[in-house]
Amino acid sequence: MSSEITTGAGHTQPDVERLHVAGLHAPSDAVLSVRDLNVRFNTENGVVHAVRGVDFDLLPGKTLGIVGESGSGKSVTSLAIMGLLPSTAEVSGSVMLKGRELLGLSDRAMCEYRGNELAMVFQDPLSSLTPVYTVGAQILEALTIHNPTMSRQAKEARAVELLAMVGIPSPKERLKAFPHEFSGGMRQRVMIAIAIANNPRVLIADEPTTALDVTIQAQVLEVLHTAQEETGAAVVMITHDLGVVAGMADDIMVMYAGKPVETGAVDDIYYNPRMPYTMGLLGAVPRVDVAEKSSLVPIEGMPPNLIHAPTGCSFAPRCPLASDACLAGEPALAPVPGSALHRAACIKSGSLGGDVDVHDVFAAPPVPVSRFDAVPREKRSTVLQLKDVRKHFPLTRGALLKRRIGTVKAVDGLSFDIREGECFSIVGESGSGKTTTLLEIMEFHKDQDGEVLIGGISNKQANDSRTKSAMRRELQMVFQDPTGALDPRFTVYEVLAEPLQNAGMDRQAIKARIMELMKLVGLQPDHVNRFPNQFSGGQRQRIGIARALAVNPKLVVLDEPVSALDVSVQAGVINLLDKLRAELGLSYLLVAHDLSVVRHISNRVAVMYLGKIVEIGEVDRVFDNPRHPYTRALLSAIPVPDPELERTRERIILQGDLPSPLDAPKGCNFATRCPVFAALPPLKQEKCLTLEPPLEPVAPSAAAQALAAHPLPAPDQRFACFFPDGEIDEDMLVVHEQADHHAP
Amino acid sequence: MLRYLAKRGITYIFMIFLTTSAGYFLAVSSLKPALLEQERIPRPTPEQVANSMRLKGLDPDLSPWERYVEWLTAIVTRWDWGRSPNGAYINAEFGDRVWISTRLFLASIILTLVIGVALGVYSAARQYKFQDRAITSYSYLAYIVPAPIAYFLVQLGAISINETVGERIFFVTGISTPGIQPGWAQFVDMLAHYAVPTVAITLVGWGSYQIAQRQYLLDNVNADFVRTARAKGLTRNQAISRHALRVSFIPVAQSIAFTIPAIFAGGFFAEKIFAWPGVGSWSIDAISLQDVNAATATLAYGSVIFALGAILADFATTLVDPRVRVQ
Amino acid sequence: MTNLNAVDPAAVAQDAHLEGADVVIGKNTIIFRRFMRNRTAVAGLAIFLALTLFSFIGGYFTPWDKETIDPFNIGMPPSAEHYLGTSQAGIDLYAMTVEGTRISILIGLIVGLVSVLVAAVYGCTMAYFGGKVDKVMLFILEALIMMPALLVVAVATSGGGEGLKRDLPSWLLLIIVLLVFSWMGTARLIRSLSMSLMQRDFVKAAQYMGIPARRIVWRHLVPNIGSLLVLDITRGVTGAILAEVAFSFIGIGIKVPDVSLGVLIGGATSQVQTFPWMFWVPLAVMFLLTGSLAMMNDGLRDAFDPSSSSSGSATKRKALKTRVKRNAS
Repeated sequence: MSSEITTGAGHTQPDVERLHVAGLHAPSDAVLSVRDLNVRFNTENGVVHAVRGVDFDLLPGKTLGIVGESGSGKSVTSLAIMGLLPSTAEVSGSVMLKGRELLGLSDRAMCEYRGNELAMVFQDPLSSLTPVYTVGAQILEALTIHNPTMSRQAKEARAVELLAMVGIPSPKERLKAFPHEFSGGMRQRVMIAIAIANNPRVLIADEPTTALDVTIQAQVLEVLHTAQEETGAAVVMITHDLGVVAGMADDIMVMYAGKPVETGAVDDIYYNPRMPYTMGLLGAVPRVDVAEKSSLVPIEGMPPNLIHAPTGCSFAPRCPLASDACLAGEPALAPVPGSALHRAACIKSGSLGGDVDVHDVFAAPPVPVSRFDAVPREKRSTVLQLKDVRKHFPLTRGALLKRRIGTVKAVDGLSFDIREGECFSIVGESGSGKTTTLLEIMEFHKDQDGEVLIGGISNKQANDSRTKSAMRRELQMVFQDPTGALDPRFTVYEVLAEPLQNAGMDRQAIKARIMELMKLVGLQPDHVNRFPNQFSGGQRQRIGIARALAVNPKLVVLDEPVSALDVSVQAGVINLLDKLRAELGLSYLLVAHDLSVVRHISNRVAVMYLGKIVEIGEVDRVFDNPRHPYTRALLSAIPVPDPELERTRERIILQGDLPSPLDAPKGCNFATRCPVFAALPPLKQEKCLTLEPPLEPVAPSAAAQALAAHPLPAPDQRFACFFPDGEIDEDMLVVHEQADHHAP
Repeated sequence: MLRYLAKRGITYIFMIFLTTSAGYFLAVSSLKPALLEQERIPRPTPEQVANSMRLKGLDPDLSPWERYVEWLTAIVTRWDWGRSPNGAYINAEFGDRVWISTRLFLASIILTLVIGVALGVYSAARQYKFQDRAITSYSYLAYIVPAPIAYFLVQLGAISINETVGERIFFVTGISTPGIQPGWAQFVDMLAHYAVPTVAITLVGWGSYQIAQRQYLLDNVNADFVRTARAKGLTRNQAISRHALRVSFIPVAQSIAFTIPAIFAGGFFAEKIFAWPGVGSWSIDAISLQDVNAATATLAYGSVIFALGAILADFATTLVDPRVRVQ
Repeated sequence: MTNLNAVDPAAVAQDAHLEGADVVIGKNTIIFRRFMRNRTAVAGLAIFLALTLFSFIGGYFTPWDKETIDPFNIGMPPSAEHYLGTSQAGIDLYAMTVEGTRISILIGLIVGLVSVLVAAVYGCTMAYFGGKVDKVMLFILEALIMMPALLVVAVATSGGGEGLKRDLPSWLLLIIVLLVFSWMGTARLIRSLSMSLMQRDFVKAAQYMGIPARRIVWRHLVPNIGSLLVLDITRGVTGAILAEVAFSFIGIGIKVPDVSLGVLIGGATSQVQTFPWMFWVPLAVMFLLTGSLAMMNDGLRDAFDPSSSSSGSATKRKALKTRVKRNAS
């Protein structure tokens, strides 16, 4: 145990005394101690008590992970520490930075600390830099504020050094660039450079990678790691993703409804959770590294409204174990039997340790079985087929005067098919062409380049409206943002009635069908008269799913259906999708950036890179035995909610962003970033650069072939790479030193 | 950038041509200067009228199309915008009047902008405090008073000051006292003539800038990048003045470029009330005097000013916003 | 993460008393309630309605009308016989004000409503067809914006058009000219708003369901720009009333014998010192009229825009009363 989490001695003592005691007992070497932090906001509807008594100590060089869903108060906590909350917020408690009290300081006095000893990296890199100043000017500003005497040359040299440290190529030239000339990942690196400019003692990172692609997330996490090593700063890492902190954090604090509900060393939290909420969170996350199919743990319900003071445990309404005792008074954060430093706010924490299975606690539904599962794939009929589909856009430059400088091959010769009852997923970074693929399928008109067959209807014959509407009945779509996909002026009834009216059903039938749909997706039928804004995000997505199912389609296109949802809600929606596929014999075409979700619900997967499929096949084969270097890199970039594994595993960190399509080489698109290519001798590199690797099936392994009497059929996995088993370049391979972290 | 401006310029020239031509046809078919001539004493014969009109290039017997061709040819070949029914040359008259209008509005435009933007920033910084409420309420008030009435009220105010003092301090109409000695006396006379119109136009004008600047700044006060600046160690006010202000100025700069021509072209109210013989009042007079060529010329002037403003707006945007700069 | 899981607090509040009773209150009711809760807006509405009523029935409360000259009371201040006094010519000011208010309100309402209607049709057509149609229509729009409206007003009402002037009263002529030049700004706004709506997921969803385009425009586009339309109507009414007053004030709008607030104010400028009531009374009425409309407009904007501090930029113009303090992240 490296840093300590001390808690207020209990709720019986008056606050003053409690603070006094806490102050006396805070470890003298803690760089940041927070005691009984409370934040209240005055809103039109009443006082929202957003943070309710947070305590922690952070030791130098250590990392604390604060985990929670949106609205749990984790971001407000960090802003309160920084003194960046709006003046309408009421903050009480104590925040000590190296023994000096920060709360109650004036804005001007806080400026001594902000950006100097206390620095912060924010969530959205796209909006966090001032658009009208160069990146250099913004870094220099951070230096000037705290080092007024530093010469301009010295500051510029330091800025270049910082940019180099966070991995921005040709830093000297990039100083003069404006933020809009950087990609999201690069901007987040700049944010980190600004934050560490003055060697802070404490660095707070608020969801620093949430807005980024997985590969870029891996890069940025690596940069944060380097920054911490360089500056020796203690880090507070705020995230909703249990995987992100598993490898980084020494301690974890789980927050719910503005309160810490479980705190302890990282291994305690992950391997021995004692609070049902923590258990639920861990069980709700699908694992990318595990093939075994089991249902996810859904946490039903919504977090409480913090306008009303909770009278019992705030998690009780969603907790499967809640009993009457849970409703009598809010439980304090108390030590878990057997470990003084592991604390949980649950009256039942004593009985939850050891081998209590989260699936039993939360009653995860049984794994649904589809009637098609038993039928071999070749014998099922095809619901969707793409033959050599292409979509090229002209690439223009100049904001006011556009001129064409090239072609973006957003989708470049795509062919695949989806059979009945199967879930097929497309994965890749943003810009890989997965969304364009969906749009091409949905557009469905005869001028498209390539053929799209939906339920046997080809887009080449889609010239009359009857063919089109026949196709629309075969295929429906669920959108990424459940809020944007529902007309805010429609009631749920109107939303669901729209496709049915269009199909020409009469009023009575429509009504019956809507009630049926509501039940099917797990919503209360008597809520049909409500408007979308009266539902939570998860419920809104269920409405979206119900609408897609209204006309009984065979294939549902899912565009990032859960990426906008909180983890606990996500699990419920994934389970629902799984159930519907089995019960209704649906096929899915899923696009997702979260490979763990993909692994959990799909049967087959295609990995796309710059408009082309680089690897395709059965999901377990591809994920367990990836052949293409890009697939390997993608899988390696996913953090796993398993601290032990995270600390020890090797990871491939791809260099840079997805290249501009103009820079793609003639041969293999991936060559510019390929970890294998970088390690190849020049002769072989030449091949990658000039020849385009075809999509070829994986040969059955020699050992399996030797045992079989007949030639084995090729397994369902194809990839496009000349040197699939090549060595990985050392620069792109990272293993964290174990000693550096974790000393129990 | 230059290519872009050139392209926009050509589009606007085409538009100016269209609006001016349309204006000419409207004017030529509805304004009949010959009718006014006939009211003279002694009453001229119709032949005399027609003759005098023909001499000034205003032949009433030609069809609108023939007159249009004649008029256009004169402009294209000789840059001659024709003559008024009283025989004056449009080109000469125009030069004088543009200069008068410019003198009337230049100071007001600058004051309007500076005061409007400054008050916008000030009221945003004191959002919901007394000062903000007072300033913003004033701006809304300015919005519901028609400009000429506001000018007239200011004029009344100036008159009552004069009466209270018992001496003529301000001139409420006219541009200068004829025959005044050059030097100090002339300067004082100029101030006395300028003060009332300038104050009136400024008072009416700054409201919209104040509201716009206040709103744009408030939109940016809680922006993520302001939070970043504060996290670096700037105080809230420093972060706002160094970061939010500059960004909030982007849309304002654009609207400024657009409203400068609006003030120029819409200046007829002020010119009418304060009796300054500028382009605006000329355009009104031209119509009551049935002066086809003058009316069309002022219309063309308005269109040109508008086009300049639009191009200026583009230019201003590229100047303050690096995101639209063309590399 | 996004704040997806945050439920609209207003809706939750609504929810509280919905439980049990299975009635759901429509959006319009919510908007109506929000509007009624705003005292300034309600006061504005009341004043405006009272003025409108006054302009239609006010004439019955006095025996005088706007043409009859009272030879015994010339240029008299307000009295029991002439509530608001008489003009230099001995005409009853009360009667003239009633008539003038009616003409001003009529001009405002007709111009405000019709111009928004024209703008909506024009703007939606542009957004819907896009491409070449959009380009040509945009060009026409900009050319119209470029025309100085004043000159055309002047030509139409003062200059020639003898035939027109004979057939139409000057106020109708002014309405037509104001209409021609008042809808372009709104049309441009509606165009950009509809274009962004066309990109929204719920419109795409409807398209992918195979809903016909006409139905999409009618059921999804129009209701979603509805609030903007209502706001633009009140703004347009104010603008038209102001324009009428301004033009008539300098003598190029409505012509005597027609009366309007602008004519009354403008005609009295030379007599401010001698017959002050002739100037201040119609001016006060005009202030009440435009002021009440501005108050209503403000209240409507708040009612339509429950989370004004986090709304899109399209609806966020001059948001004076965006009560913030909703910064809880």
